[in-house]
Amino acid sequence: MRHFRFIIPLLSVFLSVLCFAPTALAFCGFYVAKADTKLYNKASQVVIARDGDRTVLTMANDYQGEVKDFAMVVPVPTVIQKEQVRVADPKVIERLDAFSAPRLVEYFDENPCVPYARRGDVFLAVPSAPVNEAQSARRDRSLGVTVEARFNVGEYDIVVLSAKESGGLETWLNRNGYKIPRGARQLLKPYIRSSMKFFVAKINLDKFEKSGYEFLRPLQISYQSPKFMLPIRLGMINATTEQDLIVYVLSPKGQAEITNYRTVKVPSNVNIPIFVKQEFGDFYKSTFETAYTKEGKRVAFLEYAWDMSNCDPCAAEPLTPDELKQAGVFWLDGNSPSDTSISPGFRRPFPTSNVFISRLHVRYTRDKFPEDLMFQDTSNRESFQGRYILQHPFTGEVKCQAGKEYRRSLPKRFEQEAQTLAKLTNWNIQDIRRKMQLSVGNLTISWWETFFSWLGM
Amino acid sequence: MLLKDIRDYQILFLGLFLILGIGTRDWTLRPELIAVAIATCLTTQCILSLVQVRKQEVEDAPNLLSPIPSTLNLRSALITALGLSLLLRADHWTTMAFAAASAIASKFFLRVNQKHFFNPANFGIIVALVFTSDAWVSPGQWGEDWWYGLLFAGAGGMILQRVGRWDTTAAFLGAYSLLEAMRNLWLGWTWDVYLHRLMSGSLLLFALFMVTDPRSIPNARMGRVIWAVGIAIVTFLLRNYFFIPTAVFWALFMFAPLSILFDVICAAPRFDWLEAVRSKGVGV
Repeated sequence: MRHFRFIIPLLSVFLSVLCFAPTALAFCGFYVAKADTKLYNKASQVVIARDGDRTVLTMANDYQGEVKDFAMVVPVPTVIQKEQVRVADPKVIERLDAFSAPRLVEYFDENPCVPYARRGDVFLAVPSAPVNEAQSARRDRSLGVTVEARFNVGEYDIVVLSAKESGGLETWLNRNGYKIPRGARQLLKPYIRSSMKFFVAKINLDKFEKSGYEFLRPLQISYQSPKFMLPIRLGMINATTEQDLIVYVLSPKGQAEITNYRTVKVPSNVNIPIFVKQEFGDFYKSTFETAYTKEGKRVAFLEYAWDMSNCDPCAAEPLTPDELKQAGVFWLDGNSPSDTSISPGFRRPFPTSNVFISRLHVRYTRDKFPEDLMFQDTSNRESFQGRYILQHPFTGEVKCQAGKEYRRSLPKRFEQEAQTLAKLTNWNIQDIRRKMQLSVGNLTISWWETFFSWLGM
Repeated sequence: MLLKDIRDYQILFLGLFLILGIGTRDWTLRPELIAVAIATCLTTQCILSLVQVRKQEVEDAPNLLSPIPSTLNLRSALITALGLSLLLRADHWTTMAFAAASAIASKFFLRVNQKHFFNPANFGIIVALVFTSDAWVSPGQWGEDWWYGLLFAGAGGMILQRVGRWDTTAAFLGAYSLLEAMRNLWLGWTWDVYLHRLMSGSLLLFALFMVTDPRSIPNARMGRVIWAVGIAIVTFLLRNYFFIPTAVFWALFMFAPLSILFDVICAAPRFDWLEAVRSKGVGV
């Protein structure tokens, strides 16, 4: 039984809830589907809202054992008091995920003989959900361990510790009912030495049951420190495989990047075969895996970078000012004219543009990511999104000359799409071609037309 | 003619890194900003050189021994431009132009005894970070692949050997890695953490190409070594205790004016390697 889970790759998503991806008729094609974090079994999610040296850190939990066994230890830069901790609404993280997820868009070719014909398409994404649990607490002193604070927030019992040496901390944790994984002691030492504190949370079962919550809600802590980092080393103690970590950095400046590893953009903006619509999740997983392997497994990926006041195409509506505050954005007040004037002509007031989101996806293992992640926010306000395009061919009847030319151009285009897909995902090109035949079968291109087009006629 | 001057090699290597950067690492490197940096550096250099020549002519009219080609010094300006392109990122071209112009201008206006004490590219970077809102440095973007490290080391070493300033690099890297080793030992991290911290392409780029500029560093070897160790210490402190990702640039910036002091204390003939060549400095 694992009583103890070190974080930060802490916990992760459990969340569920149905979410209907809104239809958006956008400049960049029709939004169809998104590849959100539910694709990954174990993906920790962390939201960091940061301005200057003030940070609000929200940690979502992917804990999959019993709630009573749940416990987490996070090294934090300062002592955290009760008023600095709150329980966040899991929905907010889900909203951030939906808003920033890599997306699939589709375009429809117009009738080459009659310009101006348009159609739209809708889709909906249905997520699923795991569960969580935890345990209760006792205490002790001496050992060089100081209990800096002890309080409960929502269903959590929280202790903030500082320690003088790792042996003492280990003993303290053991005596208080935490089962420490082997090797933790060595890993705790550097954090103690760099005078970090330990934020230890468990579940108060009574409260948990009373609250009627089914899942563990994310914990949100606020602190002031020049350290802009996430400790990932502890989380690797008992990990045997690669771990996924999605970090949403919200900043008033611009894109965030990692300063001690390379930050690379995920492949984006490519045309892929239409059948991917049915398996977009698999497609994105393979694409990510391929890119990750190609980069030597030692880079962080930027999946999305955008001003939070808009999106194009939208995988989800931008977050409202209220939702942003829930996500930890504390600098909205004062600068935000968004609440004030809502002209009736517009659908919905967007929050102002002083929140920039960067979605970083880190897949890490002990050998490739020896050091904790250090971040910086830059002034780079360039927009980026993981975006994959389906281009539907025109399937109606064509009689004009232009139509015939268009028809002939299609096989070349399909082949190009197949090759792009094979390159991105490392899938077998023959399989791809076979599947494409199925999805474009209704095009009824006669064999000689195909043949001529191959000849370039 | 080509590759006659040591700085041609430096231009070649820096150019190669830029091409590698654009070609193999999908950076935020933007070709138009590189163009802006080069154009601004060269233009500023030309204008200020001409102004200077004019002034000189007015001051001592009979002395016509300053032919324009030698005072133009376009190589140095190009090196500064390449260095800025490699290290500085900006959202808007005006920021890059501003950084480039101030980098070159610092050579003309901030000087003592015919020697400019700021490394031009470093000066440009700091000025852009301080006075504009959209400049940044991406220290992580060079990654840590050993291959790049080797490339940097090889290319840099070659230049340094010819320039004769390897002592500065050695002192800087030696002191810095020693400090990091001590910290690592004390904290109790495994050694892969240490290696990862040192295997940063940006650090090597700085150590090999920026801290070695003979025009803006102390002339005497003793002075250079103490100066470089000082930079290493400040870098270490800024990085680990103030959590500043751009620590090296700030450290060099702070120590730049001190090189004048070191020159006074350890008086030594400057540019011993250049006596024959008679050309001006090398610097990123």
